This record gives sequence, structure tokens and C-alpha cells, in this order.
Amino acid sequence: MRRGALALLVTLALVLLSGCAPSQPPPEGSPPAAGDELTPTAAAATTYVMAGDDYGYPSPFAFYSRGPGYIRMSYLFDTLVWKDADGVIPWLAERWALSDDGTAWTFELRPDVTWHDGQPLTAEDVAFSYTYFGERAAEGMVRWGWPIEHVVAAEASADGRTVTLHTAEPVAGLLSDLFGSLPIIPRHIWQGVAEPLKKLDAEAVIGSGPFILRAYDQAEGRYLYEANPRYFMGAPKVEQLALIRVQDAALALLVGDVHEASFSGSGIASVTELREQPGLAVIEGPSDWALKLYYNTTRTPFDRREVRQALALAIDRQALVTRAQLGGAVVASTGLLSPSSPWHAPNLPAYAHDAAAAQALLSAAGVTSLQTTLLTTPTYAREAELIRSDLAAVGITVEVRTADMATVDGLLNAGEFDLLVTGHGGTANPDMGHPSVPAVWENTEYTEVYEASLRAMDEGERRALVWRLQEIIAEELPVLPLWHPLMWEVYTPGGPTPFYTAGGVANGIPLAVNKLMFLDMP
Amino acid sequence: MSSTEVRAGRLGRGHGLARAAQVALTMWLVLTLNFLLPRLMPGDPLAELDNPQGLPTPLSPEARERIRSYYGLERPLGEQYRAYLTGLARGDLGWSLSYNAPVARVLAGRLRWTLALVGVATALYLALGVVLGAASAWRRGALLDRALLVGSAVSGSVPAFFLALLLILLLGVRLRWLPLGGAQSVALLGAPWPRRAADIARHMVLPVLALVLTNVGDVAYVARNALAQVLGEGFITVARAKGLPERALLWRHALPNALLPVVSLAALRLGAVVMGAMLVEVAFAYPGMGQAIYQASMARDYPLLQGAFLVTMLTTMGANLLADALYGALDPRLRGGR
Repeated sequence: MRRGALALLVTLALVLLSGCAPSQPPPEGSPPAAGDELTPTAAAATTYVMAGDDYGYPSPFAFYSRGPGYIRMSYLFDTLVWKDADGVIPWLAERWALSDDGTAWTFELRPDVTWHDGQPLTAEDVAFSYTYFGERAAEGMVRWGWPIEHVVAAEASADGRTVTLHTAEPVAGLLSDLFGSLPIIPRHIWQGVAEPLKKLDAEAVIGSGPFILRAYDQAEGRYLYEANPRYFMGAPKVEQLALIRVQDAALALLVGDVHEASFSGSGIASVTELREQPGLAVIEGPSDWALKLYYNTTRTPFDRREVRQALALAIDRQALVTRAQLGGAVVASTGLLSPSSPWHAPNLPAYAHDAAAAQALLSAAGVTSLQTTLLTTPTYAREAELIRSDLAAVGITVEVRTADMATVDGLLNAGEFDLLVTGHGGTANPDMGHPSVPAVWENTEYTEVYEASLRAMDEGERRALVWRLQEIIAEELPVLPLWHPLMWEVYTPGGPTPFYTAGGVANGIPLAVNKLMFLDMP
Repeated sequence: MSSTEVRAGRLGRGHGLARAAQVALTMWLVLTLNFLLPRLMPGDPLAELDNPQGLPTPLSPEARERIRSYYGLERPLGEQYRAYLTGLARGDLGWSLSYNAPVARVLAGRLRWTLALVGVATALYLALGVVLGAASAWRRGALLDRALLVGSAVSGSVPAFFLALLLILLLGVRLRWLPLGGAQSVALLGAPWPRRAADIARHMVLPVLALVLTNVGDVAYVARNALAQVLGEGFITVARAKGLPERALLWRHALPNALLPVVSLAALRLGAVVMGAMLVEVAFAYPGMGQAIYQASMARDYPLLQGAFLVTMLTTMGANLLADALYGALDPRLRGGR
């Protein structure tokens, strides 16, 4: 009997392993099988594979509201202008002009652009796109935060080459945040579509972009694109582009499953190891993200500025960087905009770690002992623990509580917390928004300067206003910015070369996978 | 198991009706809880939708309100509840907010992978566990028996996630025999079906191995103890005294009587089939249900959570019914009526 059981075990093991005999490290251009219905030209197809995940059907409406979701859509659709490593460049529009009163933008389109289905892309399509997005946004069917509400009218010229977009008043930043971000969609497909979010068919991904979508699988988190041979900037360098879900991007790079993957923050440990690998290259990107400590300024004693400043002095933010992020971050600017942003204000107060000064400020404020709570997600539990021990050193007892992100966001927006740690992107963008949440902090001067900054069409004037906003944040400390993560793109040299876009892709996505990397740019 | 005996003993028509009412009440309670719980937690689906961590420019408060209204999130709870129940009655599971797709499609896309993965793994560890347990009980105290005692303790206590990482590092990275994860290779998507099937099987090996190794110990241990007990009973002694061959004694008389606890265990495991493989699915980036449900709850995706819960409930009830049927087949005393 024992022998029988062992024999069965061995048989089972053999069955289990039987599928795995002929294994070779995939798929550096490994040719798909003959008779492949997806890729008729399969024999010579080169497939560039990037590590990814599911970010939704890449139609202009259905992708998930996340940077990588927009990127997947941007491979299929184009915008009036686009950005390279240095700034805004002509794209569907060859040239453009702004009227003297700053409210009418006129774009002159390239003559040679066609949709994936062969129809020509005209000024009518552009005017339709702006009108259609505006109407659908008003009905709550646009989930990406395009500032589309500013465009009040769109008109195409009779010759189909120019389009004029009108705003009610001058608005700064529209060139990159709207004209360089809103996808132009084919009128012959979307006209009459009442619920674009629910249009998930093959038509919904017909764009003018460098790639054509061949396959998308939501469960597997996989995208397969094919080069658009008729692209107006020339066919992409790779015949196929795939994005696949991997659990561990570093291992996937090591065994050659993917050609490229992104890392950030404490991912520095993987990056350090991958740097040593022959056949891989690494680029380091800007830090367009911030982790911050929110104070509830409606609760004592955080309603007092000197108490908020005392906590800033008590917390060793450099230790958060070295111990919690393993060095994969930089201490955040107290004005919130990251030092890598061209809009970053110099000479803000640094609040360098100084427990004695913190203690003195607290004593002066009459705060001798304090019990409070700090809420965060498990991702930042290490930061929370370090903050707890720093504050214990100045006599503040902190109880750390963790919850999932939806809970933390919900309590943050409702103002139901004492201290809270979470983060957000967009810290290179001059549109600074609200540094905290309205439920716990309002400041008249900040609101006025912010509104003015959105209207300042002159770059110098806008810069002065954005600097003032950062000074207010650094002085008033509605939040204490903790760190900006570093970012890396690890890739296999010899193929497409990733790069970081000025101010982020489109309206500020800090990823290195701009579609220009697949094109032969002049 | 005693409840099964009682249930099986009194299968009259009145009892059938009472049982149907009981099932209906349970379903209603579960569905209602399922509706209420996510809505009672702080945060709403839009908190995830316009989570500033993912957006270069956050939605304006007005845009947010308009989206809320499009999804009907501002409607009173009672009205949402009615819409939810009538939708369910029509078989319409709704529209997932976070995946922007019909809930049924989101779930079906994953359920097939989970069922394949967990089905293969469960069949393997049940068969292997029963054989190992039987061999071990038959020769109590022998080397295999002692190894099984240690092995089942180890197997049950090694976290599946940890084991998965070990398997990936050894068989995926070091030896490069098997893929690190996923369900199929992107390069073979359009290949003829035998190559695709082989590719899918190859991708399934490591997750199945992780599930088998972490589950086989329990099954073997339960099977061994049940069989050991049965082997000590009078009818076995009688059968042996009659001169039955040992093989027939074990396989025909002892084992069927010892399988009831194994069936109970299997039913419990199968009931958890949808969520049970979650950690393994995550470790191998396998496109299963567990991961989807986890993400749905993180995102407060009410319709998806409701749909996923419905599927979980149906599989649990289905597994229980299956177990009831198997009890009857295994033990004639439990068959309907008195």
C-alpha cells in the first residue's frame, strides 16, 4: 500500500510538471504561432511588453481615472497639441493662436490625418469633440478631470482645416491641461451616443493614434496594440505593444517577461539591484507626488498655527525618507510643489528637525500634554509609527489607526480626524487646488490668490502668484508635506526609449511612457 | 453533521416548505446586509473614482456631484434598495463603478479562471489527501503515518502566499521552468487551441501546486483519523473474521464509511471557493475572483460587491447541497425519509 501511495504521488507530480518541459525565457520578439488570427503579419512581429495592470477599456470615456488609464487611451487617440521632454509641441494642430482678449483659441490642423477606419480627421471632428465632451460632462458622464467647462463654444471653419475654441474669460494652463489632454474623437462614431460610458464596443476605440487596439482583457489586465501603419507621424517602431499584469515587476524584468517597468519610492531596493543587471537601463524621474500630514485645524490645539509648526519641527522628515522609504524619496517642500517643478518657490521655511525648538513652541502655546490620533492607510504605517515616536519625544501621545483608502478618504473629506497621513499627485502642476480639504481649513487670502492664479495669462505674473500660494502653505501649515517619492523607469535598451515629459504627460501624469517613445521624432 | 441527520430524517412535505422559507429568509437577510454594509462604511465609490492619488487634476466639486447623480448615488437608501432588489430579480447585477463594465461581465471574466484553478486544485488535493490518509491509517505508526502527522501540520501552517513566493523563486526565476504568473502568454493569444491549452496549463501549474500543498495535509489528516476510527469498529472485525481480503476491507467497507468528514471538509472549502484562493491569485497575478472582490471592497464599488457576494452565496449554498447529496450516496442511513 505504501508503495502504491508513493507511486501515485510521483505520478501526480509528473502530471503537474508535464506542461513545463520546453521552456525558454519569453518573448523578446518571439514569433507568435502560424495561423494566428490576431496578427496576420505575425511571423516578423516584434512585440514590446510593458509591465502593467487593468486600467479599464481604453476608450476616451471608459478608462479608469488613473494616470496609467489615460496613457493606455492616449496610444489610440490624439490631442490638438502634445508634450515632449521639453514642453508643448504641435500635434493634430500644426499651429495655433490666441486672440488679444485671451478668450479665443484658433487651431490649424494637419491635412493628412485619418482615423483608424480610414475616414479623414477634420475640424468638424475637433469641434464636435469639444462640444460632445462638454455636454456629457454636464451630465456626469466624464470621469477624468479635464477643465472642459471653460470652453463655451467650438466652431469649425468651412474648409475643414481650422477650429476656434472660445472661453468665457481668459484661463491659464488650458494649452497643456485641456488642448494637450482632451482626446479628439470621430464624429461619425460618437454622434448620437447618449451614454458614452457604456459604449464598450470596437468602435469606441477607433482613434487617430499611433496604435490600434487588438485585444483587451479586463480580468487578466492585458492590452495588446498593433502599430498603425498610416500614422501621420510615421508608423511606430514596434509592430505590437503589450501591457501585461505582473505581480513582481523586478522579477518579470529579470526573466525577460517584460521589457519595461516603473518603480517609485521604496521600490528603490529593486531598482538598486536591477541597475547591476547587464541588459537593463534605468532613468530617474521627477517627484510629482507628495505624502502629507493633514491637521484638523477645526480642533484644538491644531487650530493654532504655532502648534502645527511645533509638530513640523518635532517630526524628523529626513528619517521618514531614509527609514520608511529606504532613501527612495526626498524631503518634501513645505510649500507642497515638488522641487522638480518649474513652479517651485525657493526659500520657504524648511522646518528642519529640532525637538527642543518644538518643545519651546509648545510650552509657549501652553500645550504641555496632548493625546491625539493619527489616521492613515496600511501603506504608510511605517511613516505613522515614526511620527508617533517623534511626537512622543515632545510629550504628545499619538494613537495610530489604519484603515483602507476609501475609509481614510471619506473621513478626510468629512473632516473627522485629528491628524491624518495620505498623499496625492500633481505637485508639479501650477494649478495647486486646495492644499487640505475645505471641511478643516479655509483661508481667504489663499482662495483669492488661487483664483487669480487661474486667470493669470502672463507666465511671470502667474509664477509670482503660485509662489505666494506656496508661502501661505509653508507659513500656515494646513498640511505638512512629508516626502516626494523618487521615480524610476527600468527598460531594455535597444528598443523604444522611455523618457519623462515636461510637467507630466497631458495634464500632468508623471509616467515615462509617453507615446512619443514609440515614434521616430525629427 | 448531526443537523444533516436530523434534516435527512424528517424530509416530509411540511419540512420541505419550512426549509424553503428558511432558505428564502437567509437569502433576504444576506442580500440586505450586503446592500447595507458597504453603504454604512465611510467613503463612497467616488472617493476612489476621483482619488487624488491617481489624478493629475482632481474633479471639481460640481463635476463630482454630477457624476454622483448619474450613478444614482444621491437617491435615498430606500429607493436604491428597491432598485437593487428589482434588478436582482431580473437577473441584472448592475454596472460596476470602478471597472466601468456590467457587473455580470466583470465577474464572469474572473469566475471561469477561479473555477478552473480551484477546481483542478481541489480535485487533486482531495484525491491525494484521501489516498495518503488511507495509507497512513492502514499502517498506523509506520514511517508514512509519522511523516503525515508532521507533514499535515506543516502543510496547514505554511501561509499560501509564502509558499507561492518560494515556488516562484525556485521554479520560475532560478530554474525558469514555469511562468511567474498570469493565466496565459500574450505571445500565444492567437495561437491554435492545443498550444494555447498547453500554455494555460503551464500557467496553472504553480498556483495549483501552492493550493494543493497547503490543503492536502488537512484532508489527509481528517481522512486518516476517520479511517482509523472506522477500522477499529466491530463490523470490520466481523468482515475480517469472515475472511474478506484486506484490500476489499479497506476500499469497499472502511473507506466509504470514513469519507463523511472528508466530504464535510470539502464542502466547507468549496463554499469558500470564490475567496479561498485570493492570496494565491494575488501572488501569481492570476485573474481570479478573489482579487476582484478585494478591489471592489477597497473601492466601495457597491454593485460589484453585491454581485460578488451573490456569487459567493450561491457557491456556498451549492456546495452545501452537493455535500448533502454526497452524504446520502455515501451513507444509505442518511437517505430521505424514515
